[in-house]
Amino acid sequence: MSLDFAYFPGCAAKQVQKEADTAARAVCQELGITLNAMPRATCCGAVSLRETKPAFALAVSARTLSEAEEQGRNIVTICNTCLQTLSYANFRFKEEPELLQQINGVLKEAGVRPYGGTVQVNHLLWVITDKVDQKLLKSKIKKPLGGMKVAPFYGCHNLRPSEIFPSGDAGEKADHLHRLITLMGGEPVSYRGQDRCCGFHVMLSDKKEMRAMVATNCINAKEAGAEVMITPCTLCDMAMGAYQGIAEKSVGRTIGLPELNFAQLLGSAMALDQGRLGLDRLHVDPKPVLSSRGVI
Amino acid sequence: MSEETYTFRIQRNTPTGNGRFDTRWQEFKVTLPTTSTVLSALEEIKARQDGTLTFRQSCRSAICGSCAMRISGRTRLACKTQVGSVARDKVIEVGPQTNQPVLKDLAIDIRPFFERVRRVDPFLKDGPESAKKVTKTAYDQVNQVTQCIMCGCCYSDCTMAEVSPAFLGPAALAKSFRFVSDPREGMKTERLEFLSQPDNMWSCSRCTMCVEVCPKDVKPMEAIVKLRTRGLEKGLRSGVGARHALAFHEDIQQNGDLNEFTLMMRSVGLGGTLAELGSALHLMKKGKIPSPFPHKAEKLGELRKIYDILEKNPLDVETKAAEIVPE
Repeated sequence: MSLDFAYFPGCAAKQVQKEADTAARAVCQELGITLNAMPRATCCGAVSLRETKPAFALAVSARTLSEAEEQGRNIVTICNTCLQTLSYANFRFKEEPELLQQINGVLKEAGVRPYGGTVQVNHLLWVITDKVDQKLLKSKIKKPLGGMKVAPFYGCHNLRPSEIFPSGDAGEKADHLHRLITLMGGEPVSYRGQDRCCGFHVMLSDKKEMRAMVATNCINAKEAGAEVMITPCTLCDMAMGAYQGIAEKSVGRTIGLPELNFAQLLGSAMALDQGRLGLDRLHVDPKPVLSSRGVI
Repeated sequence: MSEETYTFRIQRNTPTGNGRFDTRWQEFKVTLPTTSTVLSALEEIKARQDGTLTFRQSCRSAICGSCAMRISGRTRLACKTQVGSVARDKVIEVGPQTNQPVLKDLAIDIRPFFERVRRVDPFLKDGPESAKKVTKTAYDQVNQVTQCIMCGCCYSDCTMAEVSPAFLGPAALAKSFRFVSDPREGMKTERLEFLSQPDNMWSCSRCTMCVEVCPKDVKPMEAIVKLRTRGLEKGLRSGVGARHALAFHEDIQQNGDLNEFTLMMRSVGLGGTLAELGSALHLMKKGKIPSPFPHKAEKLGELRKIYDILEKNPLDVETKAAEIVPE
């Protein structure tokens, strides 16, 4: 199976959460996954663009999908919201050929190559757990987690709505993060929160509520015994990780649960260069836990 | 038909006065065909093992909405859920709906749910915006949301309702859209003004849980997105949620990528940004402040052309309900 992808990192990974990007690149290099740049791709628009300009939002997605198609590659992303947005457009284009025709009419008029509907949108996590040879992956785990208790936090837009994603990857039966934790030598923690919301998208409009979501998820994970939390999404990273300290102040309680992007923990278990994994950019330092389990 | 012996772990809630409960988990073993419903299993338990087990049920046909309860981690209709599809290692966990007060065992007080539905005036109003003519396709939107049976599954699993009792919730918002999208409704703008206030349509976190758990495929969050579009079209742009959405569209149209540096300022204004200085300093500690000069994608002219074409010739791309053909 070809592991040659058009790479769509998303806005957060280009700036605030750039450690997720550098960690993903480091892990991919080890696993023989090629990430090709998409120079013309823009912000996916998230649901916000669908709210302000529904047709423009679909056209923006079609333009991005078309760029990957022109490269002859499927898309891989490390942001759940980008995954959902591009998958949603792709799903509708498949289900409603007339809609694709209308959008393609607009693309052509603007001098953009029309989209033929052939691109698959993947999350890098799915590629690693379901497309990479699992024996190869296992052989790259040089520093297993030694039974570390890891809370999987999937993030909404990796799971829902399940109808837009390839069967088995999403929905309530999704277990890719669990499988990855086990493969790395960790123990997945069962807690109420793994499929809940990080609140990122209401960070500005409903501050107090967003912080309550972050605190509730982290406290539930910690009380279930989690030593660290991992997510496949740069936006969940920002909420559960970078905002955890802000959430602590909001609810008046110390939590201190190290939160990492899945690629950062995987890279650590692969004994990759710590600088590339960006462990120093995390608000709750994961290094004491990693070193207590002999990972670093 | 294959049979299995399932273990039902059922949450028993016994009122002990002053709104307090004695809560414990009780296990029952039941042998059933894998295609039996959870409701059949509960009736079997009540009839043969423990007559005090309390739950609501009525139509057995996924139309009355009475038997909504938490089954294996999600709120579902017990009458529509087959035991084989929700058992994990032959164990099925059953509890009452969340986000609403429990009365006994699996029965909850559904008043808070209906109180929210009443808040949106769930009836057609006469007024200046009532259409005089109704076309064949005018009910495409209405038909999607009228499938709602008011079971409360969406509200029970709503991640925003969990942290915000003030939130209007998915079912009430979908019900609201049912009227905003009805050509006969006369007070569309007034409804959208109400919905633009805090804790209403802009407070949904878009977690998409309601779309996933709805047993009637109402897709409440899709209705919320459409309400927001209609609110913005009416010029209702003063809230943070609305301004944030507009800032997104401005950035993508002009730069392709988000300018996260100025996004907050444009969403919450200067006062809001100053109030967030503490948070900004916290983020800055780890270098998490976006650059004021974000990356620019190539061939941005294409994007502006697309935008202009669609402004001149708008396309209706909204999802519609499938046409209902009587059998």
